[in-house]
Amino acid sequence: MSQFSVVGKPLTRLDGLRKATAQVTYGIDFKLPGMLYGKILRSVYPHARILSIDTSQAEALPGVKAVVTGKDAPVGLFGSRLYDQPPLARDKVRHIGEPVAAVAAVDEATAEKALGLIQVEYEELPAVFDAREAMQPGAPIVHPDLGSYQRNPLLCYPVPGTNILNHMRVRRGNVEEGFAQAEFIFEDTFTTQAQQHCCIEPHAAVGQAGLDGKATVWASTQAPYKVRTECAVALGVPPSRVRVIANQCGGGFGGKSRARVDAYCVLLARKSGRPVKIVLTRHEIFTATTTRHPSTIRIKTGVKADGTLVAREVEVILDGGAYGEAGEIVCWEVGQGAAGPYRIPHVKVDAYEVYTNKVPAGAMRGFGWPQILWAGESQVDIIAHKLGLDPLEVRLRNAVEEGSISHTGEVLHSVGLKECLRQAASAIDWEAERPPNRGRGIACLTKISVPFLGSSAFVKINEDGRVGLLTSATDIGQGSDTVLAQICAEEMGVGLSDVEVAVPDTDTTPPDMGAIASRITFHVGNAIRLAAADARSQVLALAADMLEASPDDLDLAGGKIFVRGSTERALTLTEVSTAAYFRKGGPILGRGSFLDEDLVPTDEETGQSPKPSPYIKYGATAAEVDVDPETGVVKVTKMASAHDCGRAINPLLLNGQIEGGAATGLAFALWEEMVFDGGRITNPSFMDYRIPSTVEVPDVQPVIVEAPHSCGPFGAKGAGEASTIGVAPAVGNALFDAVKVRIKDLPLTWEKVLEALEKKGEGASVAPGP
Amino acid sequence: MKYPISLTVNGEAMEFSVEPNLALLDLLRDHVELTGCRRGCDSGYCGACTVLLDGKAVHSCSVPAVAAHGKDVLTVEALVRDSRLHPVQEAFIEHGAIQCGYCTPGMILSSVALLGENPDPSEAEVRSYLSGNLCRCTGYVRIVQAVLAAGEAMRGKI
Repeated sequence: MSQFSVVGKPLTRLDGLRKATAQVTYGIDFKLPGMLYGKILRSVYPHARILSIDTSQAEALPGVKAVVTGKDAPVGLFGSRLYDQPPLARDKVRHIGEPVAAVAAVDEATAEKALGLIQVEYEELPAVFDAREAMQPGAPIVHPDLGSYQRNPLLCYPVPGTNILNHMRVRRGNVEEGFAQAEFIFEDTFTTQAQQHCCIEPHAAVGQAGLDGKATVWASTQAPYKVRTECAVALGVPPSRVRVIANQCGGGFGGKSRARVDAYCVLLARKSGRPVKIVLTRHEIFTATTTRHPSTIRIKTGVKADGTLVAREVEVILDGGAYGEAGEIVCWEVGQGAAGPYRIPHVKVDAYEVYTNKVPAGAMRGFGWPQILWAGESQVDIIAHKLGLDPLEVRLRNAVEEGSISHTGEVLHSVGLKECLRQAASAIDWEAERPPNRGRGIACLTKISVPFLGSSAFVKINEDGRVGLLTSATDIGQGSDTVLAQICAEEMGVGLSDVEVAVPDTDTTPPDMGAIASRITFHVGNAIRLAAADARSQVLALAADMLEASPDDLDLAGGKIFVRGSTERALTLTEVSTAAYFRKGGPILGRGSFLDEDLVPTDEETGQSPKPSPYIKYGATAAEVDVDPETGVVKVTKMASAHDCGRAINPLLLNGQIEGGAATGLAFALWEEMVFDGGRITNPSFMDYRIPSTVEVPDVQPVIVEAPHSCGPFGAKGAGEASTIGVAPAVGNALFDAVKVRIKDLPLTWEKVLEALEKKGEGASVAPGP
Repeated sequence: MKYPISLTVNGEAMEFSVEPNLALLDLLRDHVELTGCRRGCDSGYCGACTVLLDGKAVHSCSVPAVAAHGKDVLTVEALVRDSRLHPVQEAFIEHGAIQCGYCTPGMILSSVALLGENPDPSEAEVRSYLSGNLCRCTGYVRIVQAVLAAGEAMRGKI
């Protein structure tokens, strides 16, 4: 620990004071003179052809300044690796809630009224709402043009002519041979539900667009450069003609990584000639943004009597809804996670991302891993109980460690899994005797970061000697401004208070692919180290000149440059910077760009790669629950979440990430579910879709385990998402331990628990056999 | 039909003429330009819009502005006195109780109301009192710790 002066310290967040006093401007707060208000007309059909749109009455309404339809954004498609989504519907709508037109007016009430005056003539088409049905021959095809869509061939393998937008395969060893060696074979099917991000700040943006073709967006976003790209697609201009400035973002969790309001703001702004603001209602956020992917996961595992896992076959069906969003990568990542963090010689995985006529599923904190590990970690528990083994021991017996080969063929590095398992178990007193109806469960968790997304950073030395840090990483609450400033300060040799973090602005802050995939600390952190090292070497070179010393003999620490071993021959950073500004070389600017270019794309047929992703993080969640056999209510009495993040740059903020993610994971385990009636969501409000409050979420004990990563900044990996993963299986496994019922379908509601308790006498739960 | 109302906002007497369906939240955000009260759900569930009305924490999205006639409204903007933070604000910063910060003003105001009513609450009382303020980032652990610590600090000063 003591090898660092700023990194590793539990420092309070840089923006804490501003946020505690409300001296921050969120996307929803921003205003411009002459600003109009926009509203979006959305499809009321899950699947329909658009025969005509008549906007004349809406345009004639006093106060309406612009109406846009698909004709105003006639080319270009949104997407992540597969580009399939028109900004505004063109010939068809594919889900209820899909944007069909947008109106800008002098106030929201007028815009809302104008929506009702737009006449859309639809011809309804057969729709499909179940992902498995959507895979059957003869199912309605949601995207007949799938084969012609532009795509990035890495990570995305669509099956044209079907609803399968990605089919991710993993083949390792010979799974049939593996099952032949097994003494027991277990086969189970698990399901998960749709979950909503529920950022408390609604999606909001203000857009401005001039006749010169330049557009500006003031966004609430996780990914300014992604918003820039999508606004440019909507406007039909090059991305650099759009400037995105990141206002404060009131929560993201994957839900604010695209231009779901921004693109409509700029389209309306271009047409009206005035700035336009759009704020989504909570109803729109539920019905028309994105969700966590519902999934059906069948797992067959072959095992020896001592608990050694020998073969695993997994089929995953992800319900992607009407568009890919980032789901194609979710599918790829699910394939990466399907064997669990175990040494299994024979593995076969088929993961399918499937279109249906429902609101699109997309990126959400955890990105497929909460689903796949719900299934895998529940089944490991089934195996342990059936074989009469301790579930913790079975995991430790099979867990990967430094140097293990993953099921995708990678030699693993930076693996703190076993330590996480031991510490999480110990934190809830694993071995303790428990009274009836109380039980404990544990689950491994693991998560990669998405490959092939670059980051960059500038470091400037101000005339006062303080350090300016320019990146396009948005602090959406996770604390990245503070963590990145710590990395910068450590590398430069200055204090945290000497670093000024710039607001992301795509015209001035350098490119970055966004606060997604737990990638900011690792990717932007690496770019910052390079930029800071560049600035530092320029400082030392100039200081060497001033001190008449060799740069190799100089050091920079505590904001001072000195000749090693001598306290007398020293300069302050201010003195060196002043000299640079006015006497030699000009202001000092450092730059750093980082791309994990040592990665190798996974093979399309086998999913194998010596290095498929930048890093893998590991952890374990342990839970103790009380189950009320009268009501079926599951109450979590203890929860511990242990994480190997490589290096904790800021333990205080990391603990906050662990606790917060665990709460979202617990909500996924026990309570939250978006309920669909066909293509319609029936509970689109905080009244009907309850997110947990202070009285539902228990204290979570965060545990930090450090297994430094050789490529991470100061050894760090990522932290944002992993704590949501592993909670559901830990709770489900504890539920089994408490009352001996196994529920395979999330969430673990009291109704399901009661029903399972009633059926328990019939012995329906587990049926493995050799 | 508009109704004349007079109220005190953060110590300042104000008069407005408002439609009966205008929410106090909209009055504060759009007419007084106090953005510390936040729009989250417009239906009284998330608590991001919490303000103190005559010292009681209310969801301002669900209070008609006309109902605030003759009353005293306090928003987070008024908690700083003589450039000094309120102890609850200090505790939120120190304990890491803030992440995205969007729920923070409402959470702080509810905590201030709680500690006004009950200077020495138990953890369960804190959790019960704050259950109308939703946070999606923190899991509440540090928020609860911060409120307990602020209570202790405030009792120490009396």
